[in-house]
Amino acid sequence: MNIVPLALYAAAFVGYALHFARRTVVSARLATTMLAAATLAHTFIIGMQTMQVGQVPVFDMKSAISMFVWLLAVAYLYTEVTTDERAMGVFILPLVIALQLIPAFKAGSGAHSAVLRGPLFGIHVSSLMFAYASFALACVIGITYVLLFKEIKTKHLGVFYARLPSLQVLDQMNQRAIIVGWVFLTIGLVAGVAFAIQAHVPSMLSLEDPKIFVALISWLVYSFELFAARRIGWAGRRAAYLSALGFAIVLLNFVPISYLTNSHKF
Amino acid sequence: MHLLLVGISHRTAPVELRERVDFQARGVELALRTLAARKAGGSAGEIAVLSTCNRAELYLACDDVEQAKSELVSFVSAFHEVDVKAIEPHVYDVADLEAARHLFRVAAGLDSLVVGEPQILGQVKEAHSSARQAETAGPLLNRLFHACFAVGKRVRTETNLGSGAVSVSYAAVALARKIFGDLAGRSVVVLGAGEMGKLTAQHMKSQGVKQVTIVSRTIAHAARTAETIGGAIAARWEDMDAALAAADIVITATGAATPILTKARVESVMRPRRGRPLFIIDIAVPRDVEAAAGEIEQVFLYNIDDLQASVRENLAKRASEVERAEKIVDEELDKFASWLRSRGVIPTVVALRQSFESIRRSELDRLDFKLSSLPPDAREEARARVDEITHLLVEKLLLTPTEQLKGLADPETATMYAEAITRVFGLDDAEPRADSRVEQFRPKRPSGQKR
Repeated sequence: MNIVPLALYAAAFVGYALHFARRTVVSARLATTMLAAATLAHTFIIGMQTMQVGQVPVFDMKSAISMFVWLLAVAYLYTEVTTDERAMGVFILPLVIALQLIPAFKAGSGAHSAVLRGPLFGIHVSSLMFAYASFALACVIGITYVLLFKEIKTKHLGVFYARLPSLQVLDQMNQRAIIVGWVFLTIGLVAGVAFAIQAHVPSMLSLEDPKIFVALISWLVYSFELFAARRIGWAGRRAAYLSALGFAIVLLNFVPISYLTNSHKF
Repeated sequence: MHLLLVGISHRTAPVELRERVDFQARGVELALRTLAARKAGGSAGEIAVLSTCNRAELYLACDDVEQAKSELVSFVSAFHEVDVKAIEPHVYDVADLEAARHLFRVAAGLDSLVVGEPQILGQVKEAHSSARQAETAGPLLNRLFHACFAVGKRVRTETNLGSGAVSVSYAAVALARKIFGDLAGRSVVVLGAGEMGKLTAQHMKSQGVKQVTIVSRTIAHAARTAETIGGAIAARWEDMDAALAAADIVITATGAATPILTKARVESVMRPRRGRPLFIIDIAVPRDVEAAAGEIEQVFLYNIDDLQASVRENLAKRASEVERAEKIVDEELDKFASWLRSRGVIPTVVALRQSFESIRRSELDRLDFKLSSLPPDAREEARARVDEITHLLVEKLLLTPTEQLKGLADPETATMYAEAITRVFGLDDAEPRADSRVEQFRPKRPSGQKR
């Protein structure tokens, strides 16, 4: 089922790449239409799964990644529609496609523990998903900031200079994505703790669980980024690097830790 | 009907003459009305005037090109009170499709002084709307101008002919926009009260910056320059660091022999700014800013050579886009030419329809006589029915031939078809048919260019 949105995301990527190269009205429309179609198909699949299981499908890695990809696509589409900036699509879509490959080709466990139910669990997982989607956006925006910054600084005005929005706009977008992500990361973590206490499973709160440990590290990185931008003037390029670093940590938590370790499975 | 263009532009005339034949100054509408009344060269009153600081062009639909040409030149001379002899050597004229090609190239920005400049399309639109207001735009000119708007739009969206700043001031503003986004709310500090700094500051001001501060060794000099810029303020040389701390953009243009802004000085200015970017434009020769200052995080330093290099690069990029733009002009010209050709067979179509209609009318008249025995009500009803049926019949019979004729792309075939129809249906007595005028609308291509 997840192959359909994957194919549409791939088609959207082609559209964004075409738009990045040619910048015509037709390619812009094509790219946005393909992405909207992909997101719609993805919404349909997630909706079906929700009806099937009776709750938001985030109980195993396969469905959680699918959910994350969907949130990322929606968040990006929202940014695109509100700012009319399409240059970032060519950077976001590879991430979307790479992650969507997992739910599209990996068999899910299907089974989920009876413990993992209830509103607190729902808040915990969906807040974290939303936070991670925001961080993914911030990471891509950060990378584009650095690319444009380098062109202007070294006076080699080229591809990115002609296509990307201004440094100021990119910095603001990065900051906003980090604030939104940080708020939801905090809510997700607090809800996780509350859920563990409520469920009386002390192992859920262990710092030896790599997933919890890495999540806390990413919280610290993003907290530092927000603090540094306001107090010590680490806006712009340094903030962009921190966004990229933060998301590298988040991604570490998402894929390798989930598949290579037995952490955070109940 | 021919399309004629008579004009003067930056390619043929010096600015002194262009100033004297500026239609904007004397009123485009007055010119249009005066010309329409003259009916130059058998004109049906279809005229448009395109007047910018770089060109004055008259577009006219007329029957006699040669006569219209000389009448237009003498009109320009009389209207602007300039001797004909002073104008004639600078005037160019082209007719039919070459006139259309010229307007398409103008609208695309291909004929502009700075290739690809964006204002020209707006000025062409203005020329058309003036002609419409003065009721001098008919079917030919309306179609011509709409086609040229399409060219302008396509060139703008499908090529990079208009992209990239092509003057040092614009390059500086474009860079500032890439760093800060919107310039409204930004503040600019100019070091030095000379002409260069003043001009760049004025340009920044016109882009909507919040505040311009002039810093000069002589406060009176700074105050004078600030006054000429309008809304700018003057600051003393000793207060330079405070001014720099508050600035987003710094333009340095002093005559100092050694750098005024050393790396250490810029560093100390940057410290309390908490990462707020500073864009320094050093247009002084010798340079006012130490090159090493550009290494500081969040400082973007450009000197006059950097800006000129960017301008040169943009001009080269535009030049490489010219070919793509010319191709668009050719494509749209082909479309316009086939529309013109379809107009060439219109007289035959009209004659054919008139012939059918007159047959129908005469048969209806004969029917009236036959129906005269019926009671009045029944007679009226029967006549109305027959009228309706025969009308529909004629329309349906003529639909396909009309479409086929209008769709003929090749002028020779069109002429041949028109002649055949004229002969077969005996339209000779009736008015004109497709004539050799169709030929004039075959697109002319430069020799050696493949179709």
